[in-house]
Amino acid sequence: MITVSDLSYAFKIGKKEKENIVPVLHHVDLHVAEGEIVAIVGRSGSGKSTLLNLISGFIKSQTGEIIIDGKQVSGFSESKWAEFRLEHLGFIFQSFQLIPSMTAYENVELPLVLKGVSEKERKEQTIKMLKRVGLEQYQSHYPGELSGGQQQRVSIARALILNPPLILADEPTGSLDSENEKELLNFIKELNEKDGITFLIITHDHEVASIAHRKVEIRDGYLREGSKLHEVQR
Amino acid sequence: MKFKDKHRFVRSNMKRNKTRVWMTILASTMGCAFLIMLASVGFAIHKTAVDDVMSYRLMNEIEIQSENGPLIEEDVKKLQVIKNVKAVSRKKYVPANELSLGEYTVYADVSSANMPSERKAGLQLEKGRMPKSKNEVIIGHHFAQELRKEMPENFTEGMSEEEAQKKLKKLAYDGDLLNKTLTYHMKVDNPDIKTETQIKTVKVKVVGIKKKPNKEWIIDSSVMITDDLHGEVMPLLSEIDPELKNSDDSYSAVKVYTSSAEDVKAVSEEIKDKGYLTYSVVSELKELNIYFTLFKAGLIFIGGIAVLIASIGIFNTMTMAVTERSQDIGIMKAIGATPRTIKRIFLLESGYIGLWGVGLGTILAYLISYGVNFALPIIVEQFLNEKPPEDFILSYIPWSLTIIAVTICMSVTLLSGWRPAAKATTVDVLKALRRDV
Ligand SMILES: Nc1ncnc2c1ncn2[C@@H]1O[C@H](COP(=O)(O)OP(=O)(O)O)[C@@H](O)[C@H]1O
Ligand SMILES: [Mg+2]
Repeated sequence: MITVSDLSYAFKIGKKEKENIVPVLHHVDLHVAEGEIVAIVGRSGSGKSTLLNLISGFIKSQTGEIIIDGKQVSGFSESKWAEFRLEHLGFIFQSFQLIPSMTAYENVELPLVLKGVSEKERKEQTIKMLKRVGLEQYQSHYPGELSGGQQQRVSIARALILNPPLILADEPTGSLDSENEKELLNFIKELNEKDGITFLIITHDHEVASIAHRKVEIRDGYLREGSKLHEVQR
Repeated sequence: MKFKDKHRFVRSNMKRNKTRVWMTILASTMGCAFLIMLASVGFAIHKTAVDDVMSYRLMNEIEIQSENGPLIEEDVKKLQVIKNVKAVSRKKYVPANELSLGEYTVYADVSSANMPSERKAGLQLEKGRMPKSKNEVIIGHHFAQELRKEMPENFTEGMSEEEAQKKLKKLAYDGDLLNKTLTYHMKVDNPDIKTETQIKTVKVKVVGIKKKPNKEWIIDSSVMITDDLHGEVMPLLSEIDPELKNSDDSYSAVKVYTSSAEDVKAVSEEIKDKGYLTYSVVSELKELNIYFTLFKAGLIFIGGIAVLIASIGIFNTMTMAVTERSQDIGIMKAIGATPRTIKRIFLLESGYIGLWGVGLGTILAYLISYGVNFALPIIVEQFLNEKPPEDFILSYIPWSLTIIAVTICMSVTLLSGWRPAAKATTVDVLKALRRDV
């Protein structure tokens, strides 16, 4: 599903004259198979988010190569990336990233709107998805009127609405209490097993065991393959 | 993203900051209305000028002159054979202009004319018929009111114009002149010649009265005599004033009438090719149009500055909207909104503001225009005690002006919305997502 090879990244800070180059990732190679749940672990500031942002196309590297779902995405233009994200990638963020002026329904519907799906079809799919995450009675609530767990379910519903084969999650349980965290991890497991969705998740060690098939660790910008935790089911 | 969805999206965004949006619309409304109002004055003056030119001249009339002096019969023959020439009117001026009926006297413009060609050129009579024999004449509509008893000395002294006019009217001949016989006095306008020698007179009979001119202020007290009578009068006159000899075969005014106004240009060209000078309303209008088009362009330019100022408001509003919504933009980009979609959404928003401004501005301009045209004559009459000229308008908004104004306003609007919209596409996804972590 994902093949990253020889990917390096450095942040440039400061004005042109006093430019500082901060290397963050060094020659990273990573392969994620279809149907896998891979956990990325590592200390804070080790470069986990940077790697995920590169795979998401939010930042671009001059070196290395990224192939997702058989497509060479490194080198994509901004609009190519946007189209690719819409069709192939789902995102779950630590801070949910819902649009505050839109209701739960509208937030979930947004990818369908961007894709240009007809209104009738949109309604059908959005309601179905809200039911699936158990929020149909909250559809006209604004994000500010929902609990953290509910907001995260809205954002998952939004990530799933266009049936992406891959979901990227940066500390998805970071803002949740332990009960909601458990629920979310179970849901991820279910999605992986039933729908065959591949997950790449940045998470903390102790949660990993319950769901991930494999973990990789980033230490000071170098990636090391960790131990295999579970066999992939399918 | 479908247009319908963009529209819905933009509308809900605009509703989020109603006051700001309406203030911006108000500024555009004022800019647009100002542009239209200012230019409409130019359009009104232009229209008045054109109407004026066309009101006392015929569109299909071409005046002919020659660099080699007055035209003669031979020239007329050349002109008559040109294609699409309906008639060639030619007049010979007679340098004696006193006519009388009993104690009433008038000094009128006397000229001879070729009656059939006058008829073809469009001369219309109010009463009577065209002259058939030598001593028959037709007179202008105002001839009777100019035919007066002799004025006592200091008759109108110290009177206002209006009072004087009234008093003069009392002296005027009041009755029907049709079929009356007038005495035509051979007096020439030459101070060297003694009046005693000017005793020759000719009797003429009024057989027709011309129609009233179509403008209130034109006074037509002319007398039209036949060519034959001209041939008799001129020798009499040259007996009194020898200088007038040999001038009787030249025309003082030659006018060509074309079948329709469209033919004027081609016919003018052909006449010019034959070596004559031409002058027509069409050519005068051309010069007039060039002048007024420049004038109107100047006004539109000045009005455009108001639109530009209003566009700064749109620029501001849109820049603020982009800044406020940068998180939403970031989220949408992360999910998969293309830069093009983002740009379109913001262009649409500024477009709507512009459309509202232009729409309201145009309506406002029309209302003000009607109001001004309605109220100004009343105000002028109230305060200056003077009647404004008939058909007076201060503001005229033709369709072309509306289209020009709408085009200018919309272009400026879209231009001012362009940069903020472009800025929206460059919102950094990660910066936007990092809002509250
Ligand atoms: N926008 C940025 N500009 C400069 N340096 C950055 C930026 N984002 C992250 N970094 C640096 O890159 C390194 C890796 O950051 P990150 O990938 O966010 O780590 P993690 O997610 O593993 O905590 C850190 O040292 C951080 O300071
Ligand atoms: Mg991180």
